[in-house]
Amino acid sequence: MVVGDVSTGTDLAVVGGGPGGYVAAIRAGQLGLDVTLVEMDAYGGTCLNYGCIPSKAMITATDVAHEAGHAEDMGVYADPEVDVAEMVDWKDGVVDQLTGGVEKLCKANGVNLMEGRAEFAGNDKLRVVHGGEGQGSETITYEHCIVATGSRPIEVPGFDFGDDPVLDSRQALAMDELPESIVVVGAGYIGMELSTVFAKLDVDVTVVEMLDSVLPAYENDLARPVKQRAEELGIDFHFGLAADHWEESGDGIVVAAEDEDGDVREFDTDKVLVAVGREPVTDTLNLDAVDLEPNDDGRLETDTQARTSVENVFAIGDVAPGPMLAHKASKEGQVAAEVIAGEPAALDYQAVPAAVFTDPEIATVGLSEDAAADEGFDPVVGKFPFNASGRALTTGHADGFVRVVADDDSGFLLGAQIVGPEASELVAELGLAIEMGATLEDVASTIHTHPTLAESTMEACEHALGHAIHTLNR
Amino acid sequence: MAREFKLPDVGEGVAEGELVRWLVDEGDAVSEDQPVAEVETDKAQVEVPAPVDGTVRTLHWDEGDVVPVGDVFVTFDVEGEPVEEETAAETEAAAEAETASDAEAAAGGGAAAETESTRTFAPPSVRRLARELDVNLDAVEGTGPSGRVTEGDVRAAAESEAGEPAAEPAAATAETTTEPAAEPAAESAAVQPGGQEPAGRDQTLAAPATRGLARELGVDIDDVPAVEEREGEAFVTAEAVQEYAEGGVAAQGEAPTAGAPEREFVEGGETTEPYRGIRRTIGEQMAESKYTAPHVTHHDTAVIDDLVATREKLKERAAEQDVKLTYLPFVMKAAVAGLKEYPIVNSELREADDEIALKQDYNVGVAVATDHGLMVPVVKHVDQKSILQVARDVNELAAKARDRSISREEMQGGTFTITNFGAVGGEYATPVINYPETAILGLGAIDERPVAEDGEVRAAKTLPLSLSIDHRVIDGAEAAEFTNYVMERLTDPELLLLE
Repeated sequence: MVVGDVSTGTDLAVVGGGPGGYVAAIRAGQLGLDVTLVEMDAYGGTCLNYGCIPSKAMITATDVAHEAGHAEDMGVYADPEVDVAEMVDWKDGVVDQLTGGVEKLCKANGVNLMEGRAEFAGNDKLRVVHGGEGQGSETITYEHCIVATGSRPIEVPGFDFGDDPVLDSRQALAMDELPESIVVVGAGYIGMELSTVFAKLDVDVTVVEMLDSVLPAYENDLARPVKQRAEELGIDFHFGLAADHWEESGDGIVVAAEDEDGDVREFDTDKVLVAVGREPVTDTLNLDAVDLEPNDDGRLETDTQARTSVENVFAIGDVAPGPMLAHKASKEGQVAAEVIAGEPAALDYQAVPAAVFTDPEIATVGLSEDAAADEGFDPVVGKFPFNASGRALTTGHADGFVRVVADDDSGFLLGAQIVGPEASELVAELGLAIEMGATLEDVASTIHTHPTLAESTMEACEHALGHAIHTLNR
Repeated sequence: MAREFKLPDVGEGVAEGELVRWLVDEGDAVSEDQPVAEVETDKAQVEVPAPVDGTVRTLHWDEGDVVPVGDVFVTFDVEGEPVEEETAAETEAAAEAETASDAEAAAGGGAAAETESTRTFAPPSVRRLARELDVNLDAVEGTGPSGRVTEGDVRAAAESEAGEPAAEPAAATAETTTEPAAEPAAESAAVQPGGQEPAGRDQTLAAPATRGLARELGVDIDDVPAVEEREGEAFVTAEAVQEYAEGGVAAQGEAPTAGAPEREFVEGGETTEPYRGIRRTIGEQMAESKYTAPHVTHHDTAVIDDLVATREKLKERAAEQDVKLTYLPFVMKAAVAGLKEYPIVNSELREADDEIALKQDYNVGVAVATDHGLMVPVVKHVDQKSILQVARDVNELAAKARDRSISREEMQGGTFTITNFGAVGGEYATPVINYPETAILGLGAIDERPVAEDGEVRAAKTLPLSLSIDHRVIDGAEAAEFTNYVMERLTDPELLLLE
């Protein structure tokens, strides 16, 4: 580590090594640019270290245990014993393997890695403060800069993540032992995914949500099977309540929440997980030095090439406008790197898929029926329920459906919504179809393997065309 | 927040428009639907309305510029728009960033709702190719299934655009700090001996900012000598553009005096007016027609005493219904009768496809001279309309053409054209076919002329006819037969009752 304030020059400085920043750095390296990637914590960012990957590892592990213990109707009798500390170790192993891979890939592509927290020190300079005492700082002079600092969990007043019983999603995924009970504040996708993990590990889960439904951002018929399944798992829901504060009470704590009228409900619990959303990280960047200002959302406005209002500064991922999704960040990173290298790249994708890894899973891509109508299309919808899918029945999970939205005149696919087994995987085919400008006929006429869940996509398209085989047509 | 407003397709399938004049200034407050600019397309001048309430931040073009459809036209500042919804729900809803609606917002790009969707369907590989070739994808007509834009469409568009001002990628941003183009003329005084030769490549890699700089300096980026190669393609830097602009353009600026012979002006001099807009469109179409279709013009004269009497009688009846009845509707009906009998005259040659299309529609264009130039409104389905209805349509369309309120659709879809130059005077002419149609009928002035009948010469009302045909498709005999058939119906208008 360098001591004292020294200066290096680079073609491209990337601030933040998450799925936006490291992808941008690698692509820029491939294109022959001299790249410096600054990361203050862990390569791979929130996604690999504390978010997508660890949560999916824990979801899968708890599913294995839960499924094994609940397969009596298949003739399987078991009572699996779960060692949570070992489970977390296994999860950490997966994370280490991936983050190590990211580091290797960066180096193999000639990316110069630098640890520290970067802030602007002028319109061509970054000051990088190294972690730890006495480690000093150094200055990077850049031609171009990509800001990829990501986001952090939003804190709710009265619930300090520094306090022991209060957990953010990152802490919740790293517990050595399980609490007997937990209150989850927020029924968004993070809250619902983690509630399901805890419920399947036999923790007593209570969800407190300010709005009036689970996954309030999704269409009702998508969220409904998730809520139903959660209730079967014993999760207790309380809607229209805003978490207010917590206090110690005997061995545990009490979480107080207020309804609209100011009436207070109290919940006895061991821990409280706050998962009410994430906010972009721009306050550490000293944006004034480069004449940038976040918008009302706290994001940096960008154009179709991911460029901010400052010519040589780009912003990607959670600090840029749009959904906070790792794959959207990666795409923006690639485009920004290519633009900086002089290639004619642009953010001209038609649709960004999104997935929620609840039980059952939800996945969406492109337009809903309403959104399609708002955009001026004449939408037609086709739907196929998983309880008509042979493969879904053989997995023991036949809740949910595949729904496709297309333009009636042209047949172009515009969007899809899936709730059910492997929805997160199934949505990829529809994403490709939409991006290619495929029509209902194109997908309906493509032979799909039997017996698979993917056949449901073909059937949904046939349904939209009015000639589905395995379900009744409109 | 800022809202970029791209030049919409102001006609049907228009690729570009000439900015005639701005109706607002930067900093002006505008309301939705308030006209912000006058834009002239191939055949019509339209006012472009503001899409939102807001303030004009940037007018991106100068008057006289030809603006490609889909390029950013005006940037508006809009008071707290859609963003609001998200900020309002700071906590819970923000958690749902990973949501359908947000993903859709990103995908839809916040396109103006309540209008026809303007999405262009094309696979990512084709979209990339379009960017590489500087083709504005939104202006390309797709020939794939359901109108999907294919690789071939983009390559064809790139070829047809070569030579024309390239449609720059819409993404070009931030105004560069460079001073606006130094006028080449002024600089030409200081001719640089080291003026560089134009490189004249087909394709050039360059950063968007470099392309922007080249545009500002009036330099064709393909002419800038490359300093390096990337992936086998010439790569040009901003410095190279600057250097070329200072040296190269200056050298070019000097060229006229050195190379081209000085034009000698006769005493009294001359005035010039720009060859553009509708004048240029007419010119280009005339040239295309004449250079493409070998024209032959067949002349004959119809004796129309009976038609004159018939029209005289019906004129008052028509007037009762507020319709001004001229001879034109009779001629149109007679011509359509001829087209039905001789379908080859109602046709189009599609050389690329090796086929001649015989049209099932009988849509007759009527050439109208206006203050702005020649326009050809089209009366659709003349075969299905009464003479009175045809008269009504002609009058309405001609009025619209004259006051320029005619829409592009009303000038499209013609299958045959009639030009009534006789309204001004004259007998015979050689009309130019309204390409890609294959025939046009010109009408001379109706007047008393000597006619020899049964060994006698008498004064009769006659209508001189001039039928130009595309001789690739229509034979001379067919032209004569068609004309005879039409004349028979003009001479004996009762026959039109059978139509």
